[in-house]
Order: sequence, then C-alpha cells, then structure tokens
Amino acid sequence: MPRLSGFDPNFKEEVLAEPGGENLYRCFSCGTCMASCLVWRVNPDFNPRRILRMVMLGMRGEVLSSPVIWLCSACDVCYPRCPQGIHVSELMKAIRNIAIREGYEPPGPVAMVDEELCSGCAVCAMACPYEAIELVAKQPSDGRRPVAQVDKFLCLNCGICAAACPSGAVSIEEFGDKEIAMQMQAGNWFAEKGLEPKIMVFICNWCLRANADLVRLNQLPPNIRVINIPCSGRMDPSFALFALKEGADGVLVVGCQPGECHYRRGTYIGQGKMGLLEQVFAQMGIVDGRVRFARIGAADRGKFPRLVKGMVAEVEQRREGK
Amino acid sequence: MVDAARHPKIKLLTYAEVKEVNGFIGNFKVKVEKKPRYVIPERCNGCGLCAGVCPIEVPNEFEEGTGPRKAIYIPQAQAVPLVYTIDMDNCIECYKCVDACGKLRAIDFTQKPEEVELEVGTIIAATGFDVFDPTPIKEYGYGNCENVLTAIELERLHNESGPTVGRLIRPSDGQIPKSLAFVQCVGSRDSRFMQYCSGFCCMYTIKNALVLKDKYPDMDITIFYIDIRTPAKGYEEFYQRARDRGIRFIQGRPSQIVEDPETKNLFVYAEDIALGQPVEVEAEMVVLSTAAVPRKESVDLGQTLTIPNDPSGFFMEYHPKLKPIDTPSEGVFLAGAAQGPKDVPASVSQGSGAASRAARVLSVDEWEIEPIVAYVWAERCISAQGKKCGVCATKCPYNAIVVEVGKAAQVIPAMCHGCGGCVAECPHNAITQMHFTDAQILAQMHALLAEKPEEKILALMCHWCSSAGADTAGTSHFEYPPSSRGIRVMCSARMDRDFIFEAFRLGAGMVLASGCHPQDCHYITGQRHAAKRFEKLDKTLEGMGISPERFRVEWISAAEGARYAQVIREMHETLQSLGVKRIKEENEKARPQLEKRLKRWVEVPDVAEVLDL
Repeated sequence: MPRLSGFDPNFKEEVLAEPGGENLYRCFSCGTCMASCLVWRVNPDFNPRRILRMVMLGMRGEVLSSPVIWLCSACDVCYPRCPQGIHVSELMKAIRNIAIREGYEPPGPVAMVDEELCSGCAVCAMACPYEAIELVAKQPSDGRRPVAQVDKFLCLNCGICAAACPSGAVSIEEFGDKEIAMQMQAGNWFAEKGLEPKIMVFICNWCLRANADLVRLNQLPPNIRVINIPCSGRMDPSFALFALKEGADGVLVVGCQPGECHYRRGTYIGQGKMGLLEQVFAQMGIVDGRVRFARIGAADRGKFPRLVKGMVAEVEQRREGK
Repeated sequence: MVDAARHPKIKLLTYAEVKEVNGFIGNFKVKVEKKPRYVIPERCNGCGLCAGVCPIEVPNEFEEGTGPRKAIYIPQAQAVPLVYTIDMDNCIECYKCVDACGKLRAIDFTQKPEEVELEVGTIIAATGFDVFDPTPIKEYGYGNCENVLTAIELERLHNESGPTVGRLIRPSDGQIPKSLAFVQCVGSRDSRFMQYCSGFCCMYTIKNALVLKDKYPDMDITIFYIDIRTPAKGYEEFYQRARDRGIRFIQGRPSQIVEDPETKNLFVYAEDIALGQPVEVEAEMVVLSTAAVPRKESVDLGQTLTIPNDPSGFFMEYHPKLKPIDTPSEGVFLAGAAQGPKDVPASVSQGSGAASRAARVLSVDEWEIEPIVAYVWAERCISAQGKKCGVCATKCPYNAIVVEVGKAAQVIPAMCHGCGGCVAECPHNAITQMHFTDAQILAQMHALLAEKPEEKILALMCHWCSSAGADTAGTSHFEYPPSSRGIRVMCSARMDRDFIFEAFRLGAGMVLASGCHPQDCHYITGQRHAAKRFEKLDKTLEGMGISPERFRVEWISAAEGARYAQVIREMHETLQSLGVKRIKEENEKARPQLEKRLKRWVEVPDVAEVLDL
C-alpha cells in the first residue's frame, strides 16, 4: 500500500514549473482524457488521468521510471474535450523532460536508419510529425556525409518516415516492409482459390474507436485480409502495388478523419500517397477505383463493414461487366 | 401565481418589458413597454376556440420544441393571466380566430405597443435563468443524434401535461427507450463554457431517474457524473434511494457519445474512475444535464436596473455572505436564479427574503443612508459656468450624479454609496466626500509622515479589502516591519493621484496604494477606475526623478492577511536597499515639480490650512 507521507511533496511543483505543466492543479479526475485516449488499447497500463493523479500525490520515482509516460503520442483528442482545459500531451512532455534529465530513457522501439543506404536527402526529416529526425554528418564506409539520425526521445515509431524514405534506409520494428509483406502473403492467401474478390485492407491502428468495430474486424469473410499499420501515413504505395501484382482485386486504405490523426498529420500523408497512386493508375488508363483511401472518424460507428461491403460489391460489378 | 393575480394589491404586467428605470430608493420611476397581444385581456375568457381554428402550428417554446402550439396561444396550460396572445411573426392574418371569437370580440389586430410609467418604492429582479445549449460540445452529438436530449426536453417529454401525455418516447422511432443514460455537468464545471457548478442538476437528474424508474421499472438507467452534489436537507437520502432502486451511477465524465446509424442507439464512452478502466454503455436515449446560464437579457437589464453582472453574467449581490439579496443599487433586490443557479427551495427562500427586504423599505417614511456621500461645491464646478464636463457622472457606478450644462453637477444622496470615485476624478477639485475630505486625508498624511518620513511606507487602503486584509494580518499575528503607516479610505477609487504626489513631497520613503481584486470591488467599477488611474503613474514619478519601485499598487482581499504582510515586507526590503540617502536626494529633486502639480489644490476649501505650500 502506498504511504502518502512517503511521497515527494515537491514533485508537483517541479512539474508545474516545467513548460507545459502549468494546468496540472486544475485536474479534477473526471476521466474524460482516459475515455478519449486511444493508447490504452495498445497498452492498457496507460491512463493519463492516473499519471496526473500520481504526479499530484508526489509519486516521483514511480512516475519517472514508468514506461507508460512515453506512450502519449500527442494526438490531442483529449485536449479539446477536457473540461478544465488541460493539455495532457504537453503535461506528458513536461514529465518526460524531467525524466530525461534524471537519466531515464523511453523503452522504444524507435525508427532505425541504415546509414549505408541513407542518401541524406532529408525527406524523412520533413515527413516526421514529431521533428524527431535530423541530419548529422557521419562517417559511413563511403566517406563523411550527412545521414539521418533518429532522436529516441521524440520518435513514436509511427513509420511515416519509413514510408517516405526513397532509398529504403529507414525501417521500423514490427511494422517493417518485410513484416507487412509477410502478413499479406501469410497462409498463401493470394494463391488460394475461390476467395474472389480478394480485397486487401490496410487499416490504421487507431481509427476504429469503438470496441464493437474491433470485434467486427474478426468477423470479416476470408476474402478480406486486414493488415494493421500504425498509421495510414505508414502506407507505402508499393504495398498496394505488391498486393495487386500478387492477385488482389482491390486495395483499401483506411485512415482517421482530419484532426483526429493519432500521429498529428499522418492521415494527410496517407491520403496524399494514395491519391498520387490513383493518379498514376489513371495515367495508365485504369480508373476503376481498385486502390482507394477512406476515412473513419470518431463518430462513424459501423462504417468499416459498410466500406468493405461497398468495395466488394463494386469489384463484383466490375467482374460481371467484363 | 393565481393567488398573486387575484390579490388586490398586486398588479401583474405580463408580456411586457422594462425599458427605463429612473430615481432612487423609495422613488423609482419605471417605464414598461406592454407588447401588443392583439387580444383584449378584459374580453378574453380563455376558452381557446381561437386556437382551435388557427391553421398555423409552430414549435412550442414552453415544451422546448417537443410539441406544437398555434399562432394564437397561451404559453402553457396554467398560464396566468389566462389570456391568448397572437404571435405576429407566424400569424398569416386569416382572421379565422376573429370569427371563432364571435360575440366576445376579444381580438383586436390594431393594437400597438403601449408604454406605462410606474412609480414604485423598490424593485425585485427575479428573471430566472436560461438553459445551456449543448450544441457546441460536438462530442456529445446534441443536434446530430436524434436521441440525445437535454434534461429540460426530457422533463417535458415525461410530464403528464406535456405533448406526449407523460409517455417517454424516443424521437427517432417513437418507442419507449429500454435504457437511458444521463450525462452530468454538460456546460457547467467546464472551463470552455461555464466554470461554476449549476448546483441543482444532480438532484433533478436523480428525480427524473426515480420518476422514470417508477413508471418503467425495467428501464436500465445509468448516470455519468464527475461528483454527485447533494448538500441540502434530505438530498443525500434521496440519492441513496436512487441507488437502492438499482440506478447505476458511474463516476466518470463521458468523452464521447456515438450514434449507431442503424438502430439510432447511442454508445457512451467514459472512464469508470472506480474501476480505473474505460467503459462503453449502450443506451437508447441519452439525456444531457445542461448548465443553468444567465438570461441573455441579463446584461441589458442589469444596466437598466444598475445591477452589475458577475463574471458569469448573473446579477451580482451586494455581498455574498452578509447581503445576498441586496444589490449595490439601494432599493433593488434579487430573488431566485437571476442571482445564480438555485434550486426551488433556495429560490423560494430568497423570494421571501427579497419581499421582506422590500417591505422594510416600504414600511417607513424616511430611509437612513450612510453619511459619507459626495458633495459638490457648486461655485467650483465648471458645468455651472456653462462648460461641458460631466467626468464625475461618467465615473459614478450608481448613476448618482446628474450633470446639465449651465448647472452645477448634482449628487443624489440617496443613490450615492460614498466610494469617492468622483472626488478623485473631478479635474477641477469641485467635489468632496463627507468625512473623507481632501483636507482630512491630508491631515492624516501629515501626521503620519511628521517624523523621519523617508523611513516610512505610506499605505493607502480601501475599507473593504486591503484595510480588512491589514487587520487580518494583525489578528493572525503575521509579522511585518513596523515602518508602514496606513490611511483608510472607502474605495481605491477615492485615491487621488495628488495623495501620492503629496506623500512624496512630504518625503515618504515608499507609497502603497491597495484595494480589492477587480471582481471583489464593493463599488462595482471603483477598483477599475483606480487601476486605470495608477497605470502609468510610476512612469510619471520616474520622470520626476523618483524610482518607480517606490510606488506600488497591490490588490489585496480581506482574507489575504499573509499577502499584506508579504507586500509590506517586500517594500521594506526595497526601502532598505535604496537607502535613506538616495530617497532624500530623489525627493529633493522631485520637490519643485511635485509642488507645481499640487499648487491648484490649495484653492480647495480647507486644504490650504493643511497644505503648507
């Protein structure tokens, strides 16, 4: 049992003094932030309300050493809803700043750069929503030149940089190009007969907010294959090309509504990439909507099955038309 | 209400608007505009035949739009007086009502707005409250989701005299909902909208939940709350009864309400704080317990009645604890939710209180006021010399000064509260305040700064806050250096710039001007006028060669004894660090300019005796 008298009474002042920590005292523990938060799905230990509570009680060691303080991705879904106007992501940043000064490190994983392949073009640095990548002069085997370097304190492993990199030098753990290709092929899905039409769906981890919708994901028929990606900004158009080449009839990418993106601007990047791909197809004379980008917002309950159904119906129509 | 209408000494003016209020306690003149009803009240017997034939239907405001009304209508079944009114915005003038009315001939389309002037002794403002419109809270979906209602809409929907005769139905399909969720604190306790707690929403939600549970025992009811507040007599027991009846209380403010497009059911997402986990509740109907907000007319009406509005917009009482019914305008009282959110028992109590406060005034022939009112020396007032000025009238928070060119400004003593703001503002020193005259204050200053003035801090304090704050510091034994010398005036608005110049001329080491916090000012705008006056004074002093840190302006409340002590300690430290030598030098340097500025003051009656220029 925690003994309140044993806690550090100055910790809350310490956080308060940190930029971003100003509104700490206003929290009255209503739970709006927690109920808005998407991170808890990935890690149920993450509860912003509880972290603020622990700070206010002065549980200094417990908070700073906790791996969960690094999880907030600053999607700011909770900020406009908080009745007390507390900017939770800024508060988390304040807590992290103290933790960094104390020598704590985020548990990762973070994006990795292959310095041999990196050409130093800085496309990844521009794409990163957290300004976590910068160019530094290094000495890879072919001489001294600028290469991308990831700041482990800022990176949240969204993979937008990996999709942006033109040289294939950036990769992320768990959602690397190889892993995604393996997921697509798993069980020899492309070769399987009698599953037409085959639709490959790339869905961002965050855009299905209702638990019921998550359940519906598992009830989809076997001709729909769902690949989870951390963000629609992680969607590399080559995944779509690969799926179509291997025999899929359509590719659907689902991202969040503007303003609700978990990685700030990932959904715009994803939509941009898919829009370009559609244009490329159009130049080749293919305008049948076989690649498509769709959005699911916080209030679009039950939209996902409808989207998939619609796409299946269209593909079937197209096949019959042939 | 019926009793009131029948009472021989009570006159009801309904469907009317207060346009202008003049005069003062015991002698108010009120101009009221009676809006045209297009129905002659003396002839209408309220039979309702006209409404029966009227072809126009519009949403009924009393039913919160859940039911219809005709273009000729009474606002509600129990309306007093029972007289129909034609809503000209919607009437198509088909005159069917005229035919239906027949021989009574009560309908008169030629009516015009009528102005009546009343002479009254006291005024009670009991204008009630409005309900917060939850549309701006997008995540709760009010307006987009059909089955999200406000509590007042629910109230009408399950009321026996409401549009559905007491049957609670879902707007989307007309079915009785099997499950219902209440969301508390919608718009209240929210820094984006209303910071305050509306106070009675917890109780009406519990009441509604219990009524519905009695009507539909199988209904699954969930109440989402941040805190349940049941502080009054018998309330906690009522709350316990709701718990006993199986109503589910979840501590946690919902983050979002999502509609299922097929079933029109709603999903409420919240964190169950007790469980420490997010929960999802499916409900067929969601009711938002919306905040009570000030009437939208409250600012305009406040100006008409000279009642200030508090930061939220409700009418401000004279004193939150000691005079909760009075307003800063004498003879004007408050009752009910016009003063702040209130439940029925509290409103009834305050109504009775206001009536007896008013009776106290009405039962006497003469009314005693404080003697500290302002007084104009007619011969000094330039308005009397035919020049345009009127500064005093614009600065008076109570409209107690009347200025006409050609005549000296005139103070109406019954309306003057004695803040002294006009005295300090008058550019010609033509006004003084009884018992706080310039000469009296100067005499105090001279006495306090008679010996070693450069080692002293002269503190000008307002009566209500800073002076009381200094007292608090004393009674609480907060230690501060003995170098401070205080002068009490009624309000910081009384603190003339010349007082500060004179203090420095007398060689004061430091000067402190202190008053209430802006929202606490007992004279509505007094503190604001003072703050404006002192805004650039440190720059002026610096121009004369006096270090700006030697003059300080602080707002200290009656409770902030520790703060008063702290301010004096800090000023004492500054005083020490500047040193007596430097202060003396600065004062010597500034003296000629200060004397120049103070020269005019000598002309003021009695001042010359004190001011040794």
